[in-house]
Amino acid sequence: MHGSGEKHLTHLREDLVKNLRLDFFDDEDIESVLRDLQYLDRKIGQKTLALCQTLSHASSSLVPRTLKRIKNASRFLSLKEMERWINQAFDILDHQGVDHFLHFISRIDEESLWDFLMPKGLSLQEVAPVLEAYVRGISGLDLKIAPGKESYTDTSTLFVPHSVSKYEEREKNFLLYKFMLVHKWAQMVGGTLTPDAETLSAFLTDSDAPHPDIETFFRLFPEKDLAIDLYTVIEAFRLEPFLAKELPGLMREAESMKKDFLKERMPLSNLTGKSALVEGLYRFYLKGDIEGPVPGVLNNAVEEVLRLGNGATLYESMKTLFRLYDAATGLGGSYQPRSTLLFLGVIKPEEVSLHLKAERRARIKKLEGLITKLINMPAFEPRKTSFQKTVFSEKTPEPAKEYLLIKGRIIELDEETKGFIENRGGIPGGIMVKGADIGGAGCPMTLTELAEEEEIFQEADGGIKYDEWDYKRCGYKKSWCTLFEHVLHPVHDGFVDLTLKRYSGYISVLRKKFELLKREPKIARRQKEGDDIDIDAVIEAFCDARAGLSPGDNYFTRYDRHERNFAVLFLLDMSGSTKGWVNEAEKESLVLMAEALESLGDRYAVYGFSGMTRNRCDFFCIKDFDEPYTDVVKRRINGISPKDYTRMGPPIRHSTKILKSIEARTKLFITLSDGKPEDYDAYKGDYGIEDTRKALVEAKEQGIYPFCITIDREASSYLRHMYGEVNYIVIDDVKKLPNRITEIYRKLTT
Amino acid sequence: MLNAIKTEEYVIEEEPFYLPSGKEIEIFESAYKNLIPVIMKGPTGCGKTRFMQYMAWRFKRPLITISCHDDLTASDLVGRYLVRGGETVWLDGPLTRAVKAGGFCYLDEIVEARKDTTVVIHPLADDRRILPVEKLGEILTAPPEFLLSISYNPGYQSVLKDLKQSTRQRFLAIDFSYPDKRLEKDIIMHETGVDDLTAEKLVNFAEKTRNLKDRGLVEGASTRLLIHAAKLISSGIEPRTACDVSITEPLTDDHEMVTALSELVSSIF
Repeated sequence: MHGSGEKHLTHLREDLVKNLRLDFFDDEDIESVLRDLQYLDRKIGQKTLALCQTLSHASSSLVPRTLKRIKNASRFLSLKEMERWINQAFDILDHQGVDHFLHFISRIDEESLWDFLMPKGLSLQEVAPVLEAYVRGISGLDLKIAPGKESYTDTSTLFVPHSVSKYEEREKNFLLYKFMLVHKWAQMVGGTLTPDAETLSAFLTDSDAPHPDIETFFRLFPEKDLAIDLYTVIEAFRLEPFLAKELPGLMREAESMKKDFLKERMPLSNLTGKSALVEGLYRFYLKGDIEGPVPGVLNNAVEEVLRLGNGATLYESMKTLFRLYDAATGLGGSYQPRSTLLFLGVIKPEEVSLHLKAERRARIKKLEGLITKLINMPAFEPRKTSFQKTVFSEKTPEPAKEYLLIKGRIIELDEETKGFIENRGGIPGGIMVKGADIGGAGCPMTLTELAEEEEIFQEADGGIKYDEWDYKRCGYKKSWCTLFEHVLHPVHDGFVDLTLKRYSGYISVLRKKFELLKREPKIARRQKEGDDIDIDAVIEAFCDARAGLSPGDNYFTRYDRHERNFAVLFLLDMSGSTKGWVNEAEKESLVLMAEALESLGDRYAVYGFSGMTRNRCDFFCIKDFDEPYTDVVKRRINGISPKDYTRMGPPIRHSTKILKSIEARTKLFITLSDGKPEDYDAYKGDYGIEDTRKALVEAKEQGIYPFCITIDREASSYLRHMYGEVNYIVIDDVKKLPNRITEIYRKLTT
Repeated sequence: MLNAIKTEEYVIEEEPFYLPSGKEIEIFESAYKNLIPVIMKGPTGCGKTRFMQYMAWRFKRPLITISCHDDLTASDLVGRYLVRGGETVWLDGPLTRAVKAGGFCYLDEIVEARKDTTVVIHPLADDRRILPVEKLGEILTAPPEFLLSISYNPGYQSVLKDLKQSTRQRFLAIDFSYPDKRLEKDIIMHETGVDDLTAEKLVNFAEKTRNLKDRGLVEGASTRLLIHAAKLISSGIEPRTACDVSITEPLTDDHEMVTALSELVSSIF
């Protein structure tokens, strides 16, 4: 493998030099580029070389610039960090193009590279999986955790610093992470960030915003920073008892940590009145003393927040905020935002609002889609809707609620949907009625239920993304290929019948051979334990006993069954190059294989693939695992025809995914192709071979046994490398395929 | 000397502790009166077997439990000939004994049994209520006191571990899930004698593990596991350790998940 790696490098280098020359680089310039490359560490050097080579195809002038940046960045970053940085650069180049790439690599100041610096102390990356499971367990919600400069949340992602190094001990830093997360969780449970419309309406007028949220609320305060800081600490007091009840163990540990944080806070004496009030509350929260310039106001404030601890509502909290804000502004002076408490984090109303707006937009978009769907939907057919849902749902229209009647469906309306439909001026073909007018009959369906169906549809429509291995950079291109599943169109052309006739003699032999494999359950005789008595053994034992011999103790028969427990997936190359004999031979092989497998009873599935470019990898279903071998399947086999190109990675990865979901003791994955993987774009040569190889290795890692059958007259040398990790066979004469494949399968599974 | 009794003589004398979480007792009673067999569905450790014991006690019928496994044959259920002292003698299987004694026959984890074994119960489970004993050439008719019930866990989403429709559709099904928080707390306290607060914390932890079902855990912590932990706690083991060994570790082997669960334990206790 080392040898082939060197070969790749030489190849890359030659290609780069060629491109540089084409763009009129003189020898000296080229020499300088190569020298720069040599200075880099071996692994980084290889990645950089691959990057330069890719760039040189666009424009050679990018190469020296990029090299300079990489050299500069290497001053700040360690080797590991460099590797991550270059990988990211590659991803940006792949997905966003040269301009974004240049922008990315031009930012090599410390601030921009911050994300790539390996953190001191405990890094989030290291503990993220555990923390995510922890938060999911606690909240029961699918919350994501992501690195951020501060600790805050937009209600769907919890942002925490990418490393915590407050303490020497790893455990304490980890504890700190947990505090940050549970405080965010408490805020979400307590509604801190998402006050409902009713609570907000007490403070806001209708004209403030059509959809008021926490951000609209904070617009009420001229000194927004002051209000937010006050709100953060007020809510911390309100939610403290909740946390103490839910997570007593953690909160006990929090107490000692609070002391450590208190040490870092500033004494109140040097602060302006406003700042002292806020800081005083933080200090009090950390159980510190609150002696300072505004004792009276602060004492009142402390009393106020303490009252919140007795199960106060969010409304009361907000009321308190107004009172404390007024008290603070009454103190005069300017407000200097205090350093926030790491584990309480900060509240970012604008982030929350952005997220909520994005969610609302997505909902509206979905609503629009659903309503279009509703309008275009055929009239309600009872059979087509989910039978189970109608049976188990005990819902009947409620008299007071409003429903949308459209095409025989009764759609339940929430406020948002109702508003949306009213704004639209109604829906053609639909009427809004009160539940009372419908009477008790009918089963209303919510739009979410419709949406769920829609979502499944969308996923199928949008294709499935797969990564692709790029050997040059030793890394994956993320979500690079899009694979679409299709069911192959059945064709009536009698190919299968003809094959069955042509091979009828062979098929009967084949069936017999395979039936032998079945290993019918047999009765094992002379067993110590079993289902029934072995009369022969018993008679013998009697005789032995009479003759004065020891009679032994194996008197039973046992029903022995050796169940075959195989699942096999056939993946068929349907690229243009199979046109003619190869395609016919593939189809014939399938017919024979199907006959054999039917007599054997092994579970099998057949898929075909082709496609053009990474954006359209087609995956054709000929027979699913759960589908019986019917006439429709036979007609689909008839319909196998040469299509476009051979991008093997995505279909192999998709097949692996299918096999993974199947339960079987042995999973076989047989690919049938006619040579090199090749696509319309850059997927050819070494690139295609390496990606195919990687995809097969991935399959093997999942406990699947891949076996590749290649029809190739030249039996080229790359096959050994491509399939080397798995088993393969080369068939030089396509006519032999139908006979050979059944033989191969028989050998593989016995 | 251990006191062994015959399978069909196992009658539960003392009332097993069972707190109903719905109408399962009434449903079971009317199923029994109407000679309809019962399926109990639900995750492991949520009280299916305990419920069966309770009902057997309530009706004063012997309880014959058969734990199904994939080597269970029809003869294991119905009976077989054995060689004893130079002669072959017939030995009734547990199912036959249950029919003869008019007991409750409880097939635990029925999906583990092979499909060809499961069909043996079909004639018993429909309105015929008969058990053909082929090897003897006899047919046994079940007395009205006899009841057949089976349990299975629909959580194992596997094609191989599914109940055949022909089996399913002979039964009445009662769905069991984890008891609600208050009930579960009472159960733990009653079973183990731990105090109110500990029981509440255990239930709280269980809820959090159940949140992780299908997000890294196959199942959340069952009531049975909580009781194990509570027992350890009441015999003096430190609560965090007790939860780790009796809940966290049995639930999963995945290192990260174990760590996350331990963190949950230490946050709650």
